[in-house]
Amino acid sequence: MIPPSPPVSRCRTQGFAGYNLAWSPFFENKLAVASSANYGLVGNGRLHIMSLGPGAVAPSPGLMVEKMFDTQDGLYDLAWSEAHENQIVTASGDGSIKLWDVALNDHPIRNWAEHTREVFSVDWNNIKKEIFASSSWDCSVKVWHPERKTSLTTIQSHTACVYACAFSPHNPDLLATGSGDGHLRLFDLRQPPTTGVGGGGAVAPPTLEPVATLPVGGEVLCLDWNKYRPLTVATGSTDRGVKVWDLRNAIGGVGKTLSTSLPGRGQMPVAALLGHEYAVRKVAFSPHSANLLASASYDMTARVWDVDAGVQGMASGMPAVGGSGAMRRVYDAHTEFVVGIGWSLFHEGLVASTAWDCETHLWGAMG
Amino acid sequence: MSSRISQIASQLDPRSWSGKSLASHKVKHDDDVVIVATARTPFCKARKGGLKDTKFDLLCMQMFKSLLARSEIDPTLIQDVVVGNVHNDDSEYYIRAASLAAGIPNTSPTLLVNRFCSSGLMAIRTVANQIQAGEIDCGLAIGAESMTNHAGRPYSFSQELNAASQEAQDCSMPMGWTSENVAGQFNISRQKMDEYAARSHNRAAAAQAAGKFDAEIVPITVPDGQGGHKLVSADDGIRPSTSAQDLAKIRAAFPQWAPSHTTGGNASQITDGAAGVILMRRSLANKLGKKPIAKYVSCAVSGLEPRIMGIGPALAIPKLLEQTGVKKEEVDLFEINEAFASMYVYCVEKLGLDPEKVNVNGGACALGHPLGATGARLVVTILKELERRNQHVAVVSMCIGT
Repeated sequence: MIPPSPPVSRCRTQGFAGYNLAWSPFFENKLAVASSANYGLVGNGRLHIMSLGPGAVAPSPGLMVEKMFDTQDGLYDLAWSEAHENQIVTASGDGSIKLWDVALNDHPIRNWAEHTREVFSVDWNNIKKEIFASSSWDCSVKVWHPERKTSLTTIQSHTACVYACAFSPHNPDLLATGSGDGHLRLFDLRQPPTTGVGGGGAVAPPTLEPVATLPVGGEVLCLDWNKYRPLTVATGSTDRGVKVWDLRNAIGGVGKTLSTSLPGRGQMPVAALLGHEYAVRKVAFSPHSANLLASASYDMTARVWDVDAGVQGMASGMPAVGGSGAMRRVYDAHTEFVVGIGWSLFHEGLVASTAWDCETHLWGAMG
Repeated sequence: MSSRISQIASQLDPRSWSGKSLASHKVKHDDDVVIVATARTPFCKARKGGLKDTKFDLLCMQMFKSLLARSEIDPTLIQDVVVGNVHNDDSEYYIRAASLAAGIPNTSPTLLVNRFCSSGLMAIRTVANQIQAGEIDCGLAIGAESMTNHAGRPYSFSQELNAASQEAQDCSMPMGWTSENVAGQFNISRQKMDEYAARSHNRAAAAQAAGKFDAEIVPITVPDGQGGHKLVSADDGIRPSTSAQDLAKIRAAFPQWAPSHTTGGNASQITDGAAGVILMRRSLANKLGKKPIAKYVSCAVSGLEPRIMGIGPALAIPKLLEQTGVKKEEVDLFEINEAFASMYVYCVEKLGLDPEKVNVNGGACALGHPLGATGARLVVTILKELERRNQHVAVVSMCIGT
């Protein structure tokens, strides 16, 4: 194992525990951090816009806070607009979703308050660049248009907090969600909603049925799509596992209609990467390599994995701790829960992580 | 704020590593044991109610038929028939005949289980364990008791047993004695017992009036005692206008044992009845297109001093929660059999349960307690209530004589 090394750069967000970060898809040296006072348990939130100083990555890029926006309740997640270079959407503990223009000051340009509990995840569609999704502890998932006052779609399928949602980078109508009910679900937004029957025979409002449902093991806290392999998704869960799923197995063939879900098929991950000592809070596939995945955990470390080695290990027997040689890096310079992670879109191999130690670090995936 | 803390604490809970948590039990696996049908007969007062002329074998046959009709499954799928019964003579013969007469093929054997008052529950557990062990894919479990037809047979233990252990000797004592012991040892007041019993009647009356029990009951045709037949379709032990003040006037049933708080009003009624479920592997239910009503997760049993046997649920429920990793607060509804109000009061208070989540449609004080049947009845009742409330997690528990 490669011994731990200090970050390339670090930036304090004094008094605010990091919850997640996102690199700008437009500016190579810009990233944003969603954070919360008092570890997000009670109190305010703050959106930090950070930039890498002159000198790019080496030797000392100098990660600096450029601008801040304060909110009434903690911020748990964020996503840059794929259409507008200055816009960011944030997920808040009070159930609100806010759209910010970072060129302006102080106040959000939009505010939506449809979720009834903490919003824990937001994701912008990078093909249909005019929509984004949110997921909440109120068990629902919603799809939004920045110019509309109300959500476009509400999905009521999970039976516990929905901790994660993400659009496929290959198909704008596929949305994956992960929940405390232990399931990874896949929705096809092109399908018509069906009218379900609720408890006591009451007719529930129409909602989308998932095209695939996978029992993950433990509560599912995060997920991400592989950027090169369509229908490959990674999950992180409370059972400490990072698992990789080939959803083609779960929904019965690519290119075919996604309406037939075959129960029993594709219920096993293609790789189970074991090594984290507590729940896995974030997973992120590399934008540059199909086989690289970064993860962040309550065990205060972030790790980098070679998924292909994990798949081989899985194929040749039971998954082993260390992912059968798949674990490529343990980053342990954080001193509290590591809960946010993201790969730079412009500098290959550069990773940012944010943690409850009120720090955001930049480091090299390969040491 | 507290909900955020508990949310994060649950994510860090090592029980989630081994699948010991509510989240892991909510995951649907092909090998899950699921209940696909529930039914019960009306519960009628022994010796004077609607089933007084119904023999045990007929009660069983009607129960089997009701379940088969409710489930609409092919009887040849049933690989074992398990019946909980405590005290009907030669019941092994009668259940086999009843099974065959109900149209269950002779290739499906029958099994009698008896763990006193929990026999119906143990019948369900026996079938569930067989499915979990991979021995069968589908089984039928009922509890049935015709208390009208109980033969009063005194029993006594050999001198060697009584001499060897006071606890062994205690096993020969009537259940009423154990109720008084619980009331005495844990200071359960007569007033509280009457209040709990009155609430049981009031809740059962409300449930009956709202038609809740009609959803559980399959009406059955039985002899009317005058050479003809009649249709019995409703419970007949519920007294709608019962109040704690009325119950306070009833004299002690066991004046010979202090504190003599137990009465005919705050103890379970003596009743005839049957209840049951059909269980199968989830993969089979999926194949047949049967929508699972519930998933069976686990069972825990616990022993204790015979002299206070009634407090058993206060030991078994924590054991079950520990075993499954489910937290008390995560349970939506409880059923605790009201053998006696003394033990019922003790268990609810000892476990710190919200009375609004326990026996929400009343219990044996109002509906009666056909010994072998009650465990299955509690499952039937609680599953219907979960469905009505759109809730998910239920625990059923009972105390067991000796």
